[in-house]
Amino acid sequence: MDITIKNLTHLYHPNTPFERIALRDINLQIKSGSFVSVIGHTGSGKSTLVQHINGLLKPSRGEITVGDVTIKAREKAPRLKDLRKRVGLVFQYPEHQLFEETVEKDLCFGPMNFGLPLEEAKAKAHQALKLVGLPQDFLQRSPFDLSGGQMRRVAIAGVLAVEPEVIILDEPTAGLDPMGRRDILSLFERLHEEKAVTTIMVTHSMDDAAYYSDKVLVMDRGQVVMMDKPEHVFSDSKQLKQLGLDIPVTMNFLAKLNKKVHGQSVRPVFSIEETADAAIKMLRQGRGETGHV
Amino acid sequence: MFNIIIGQYVPGQSVIHRLDPRAKLLAVFLFVIIIFLANNWVTYALAIIFTLLGVFLSKVPVRFIYRGLKPIIIIIIFTFILNVLFTKEGELLVSYGWFHIYEGGLIQAVFISMRLLVIIVATTLLTLTTSPIDITDGLEILLGPLKKIKLPVHEFALMMSIALRFIPTLLEETEKVMKAQSARGSDFTSGSLKSRVKAIIPLLVPLFVGAFKRAEELAMAMEARGYRGDVGRTRLRQLIWSLSDTFLMLVTLFLTAALFILRG
Repeated sequence: MDITIKNLTHLYHPNTPFERIALRDINLQIKSGSFVSVIGHTGSGKSTLVQHINGLLKPSRGEITVGDVTIKAREKAPRLKDLRKRVGLVFQYPEHQLFEETVEKDLCFGPMNFGLPLEEAKAKAHQALKLVGLPQDFLQRSPFDLSGGQMRRVAIAGVLAVEPEVIILDEPTAGLDPMGRRDILSLFERLHEEKAVTTIMVTHSMDDAAYYSDKVLVMDRGQVVMMDKPEHVFSDSKQLKQLGLDIPVTMNFLAKLNKKVHGQSVRPVFSIEETADAAIKMLRQGRGETGHV
Repeated sequence: MFNIIIGQYVPGQSVIHRLDPRAKLLAVFLFVIIIFLANNWVTYALAIIFTLLGVFLSKVPVRFIYRGLKPIIIIIIFTFILNVLFTKEGELLVSYGWFHIYEGGLIQAVFISMRLLVIIVATTLLTLTTSPIDITDGLEILLGPLKKIKLPVHEFALMMSIALRFIPTLLEETEKVMKAQSARGSDFTSGSLKSRVKAIIPLLVPLFVGAFKRAEELAMAMEARGYRGDVGRTRLRQLIWSLSDTFLMLVTLFLTAALFILRG
């Protein structure tokens, strides 16, 4: 589903002494099937922005269109339930939303809310659990007996069980160990590639943003600063640093190496393999020019 | 979403904000008692002027106070109607079948609604202009003498300040869990009463789990920072009684005297 945002402004606590502008005149477009990362300083409005996409927040001014549903400021929102079925949202620390006695019941919660009968909901629950890589005997366990990483996966499965066409991730890996991080991220990468799920990920990791996404959206103080391919966004390290952000480790490494061997600058790369290749190339070039290494 | 402002603090630098919490507590406490002395137009007018003066000096936007009062206005209207209908004193004004309105009833209803309104505005003003920490500090000192008879005043004050401190956190958490469950298709705002009550469970369970976890972490953090109760504990922020506090006390006492003299 295509997502179009026009002149969107969002105010927190309007008409009170606590009024604050969270988003200021946002315009952007996200194509169906793309993987977009949203980066920005804490408090730059990333979470507020993504919560508009499934109608959890309403624009104070402007409008947002997701698929065939348009939500406008000062108008009653149409068919939100339908929208939420198609747009799944994984919050930060999603394990805080678990509440049922068994994992199976918790996974059925979403599908049944959207009108599936129990048997079909159960089938979806089993699929979702498999998708996040947990064994089926977890179904009858209490979600509160699981480890942190397992709870996170169950919670994510609870969102996936609805089979959304768009999935929004708000820092899905916060507080996980490196293994857990990689598992979760590759799960969403797989979903994106195999099922063409439109994926929007809020993240603090420049590495993840650079590696996984087609486009990176940079936010600062409620405004969109850049929205472009990762290689373009991350080639401007000066501006990123001004915004309290950084460039991916891979590029940082190549830049430092480049300085040492006086090689030519290379195009931005984000995976470890490409970085290794680029490093070799750089070293060879450096040797060719200066005659020693 | 959460419009109720009782217990919410609006930071500011007004005269009322800077008063000593002890003075404010005493004044409001006294005021809530003496308002029951008022029984005619003059005395009510005095009480209302006193309250409005407080609102004016606090510089809290009136619109903001009004919005917070909205949920309570229903209760006031309800008391008003009850009083109009069930007080049978004075001249009969309207009579229609079993439905009678007496002059006395009308006056009584106005007075009682005024009383309620004034009490609520005054106490709301206290919490709007005094940070929760100041309130509990003030309370702890005011109730200090009760420690002599082994009442756990400090523990009580601590419990209160923790409770107050965590109201916004809990509300935030509520909003977050509500959003998370709404994203999973839960509906809190429409449907039958039964389905709405059922929708509360997915909200309450995570909230309770979170609250217990947080309580445990807080206890641990307090111990780690050397908290060991009341004995020998000093304060970072001392309360200072100034001239304006004495002035507030004098005004309140003066109001008390005036109400005694002017009541019918």
